[in-house]
Amino acid sequence: MDSGTLVTVVTIVASAAAITLGTIIPALMEGRAVSKALEGMTRQPEVADRLRATLFISMAILESTAIYVLLICLILLFANPLLGRFFQ
Amino acid sequence: MRGVFPEVVFTVMNVPVRDTVISTWFTMLLILTMVFVVRRRWRGALGILVSWLLENVSAIMGERADPYVSLLGTLAVFIGVANAIGAVPIVVSPTHDINTTVALALIVFFSVHYLGVKQKGLLGYLKGLATPLFTLPLELIGQLSRTLSLALRLFGNVLSTEMVVAVIFSLLPLIVPVPLIAFGIFTGVLQAYIFTVLAAVYIAAAVAGNEPVKTKKKRG
Repeated sequence: MDSGTLVTVVTIVASAAAITLGTIIPALMEGRAVSKALEGMTRQPEVADRLRATLFISMAILESTAIYVLLICLILLFANPLLGRFFQ
Repeated sequence: MRGVFPEVVFTVMNVPVRDTVISTWFTMLLILTMVFVVRRRWRGALGILVSWLLENVSAIMGERADPYVSLLGTLAVFIGVANAIGAVPIVVSPTHDINTTVALALIVFFSVHYLGVKQKGLLGYLKGLATPLFTLPLELIGQLSRTLSLALRLFGNVLSTEMVVAVIFSLLPLIVPVPLIAFGIFTGVLQAYIFTVLAAVYIAAAVAGNEPVKTKKKRG
C-alpha cells in the first residue's frame, strides 16, 4: 500500500470515528439539558417562557460542538490538505 | 446531487459569481416583493411582525432595545427567508456558502463594537472590556471565537440539513424526503431566531454597564 492510499484510508476511518463520538456526547448532554428544563417548566410554569428562550440559546451553543465535528469531517473528506502532497 | 461547495456560474471582470450570490439576490428580491405585496394587501401584518420582534428583542435586552431592533430584525428576516428557500428544488440557499455566514457574523462583530463605543465612548468601552485586567486576553479570545462560532453554526446547520436531504433523496426519491425538508425549514427558522438572539445578547453585553448580562436578562 503506497502512502497516498494509506492517508486516504486513515482519513476515512478517522472521520467516521470522529463523527460517531462527536455526535454521541453532545446528543446526551442536550438530552440532559432538555430534561432539566422540562422539569423546571413543570415545576414552575410561570417562568416557562424565559426558560424556553434560555433553552434555545444553550441548545444552539451545545449543538455547535457537534457542528464543528461535522465541519472537520467534511474538510477531511472533501478538501483534505494532506492528500495534495500525494496526488498532484 | 448538489456539491458541498458552491459552483461558479459566471465571472464579471475576474470576479467569480457563485450560485449562492445569485440566490442571495433572489432572496433580496423575494423579501422586497413580499413586503410590497403585504403592505398593499394587509396593512397591519408588517406592524404585527415589527412589534413581535420588538417584544422578543426587548425581553432579552431590557428596555433599551428600540435603536437595535432594525439591525436585529433585518438579520432575522434575511436569515429566515434565506434558509427557507433552500427547500425550493433548484435554488441553493445563500447560507449554504460559508462566505455569506462569515459576512453576517462580521456585521454582528463590527456593529457590537460600534454600538459599544457609541454608547460608552472609546475609553469607557475599552475600560469595560478590561475591568478585571487579567480577563482581557480571555475577553479578546471570546470576541473572536464567538464570531467564528456564529458563522460556523449557521453554515454547518444549513449544510448538514441539505446534505441529509440529498443523501435520502439519492436513496428514496419519492415521498420520504418531504418530512426531512419540512424539518429543514423548521431548523432554518430556528437558526435565524438563534442568530438574532445571540446577536442581541452580544449587543446587550457591549452596551450595558459593568455589571454582567445575566442581571439585564432577568429584568425583561
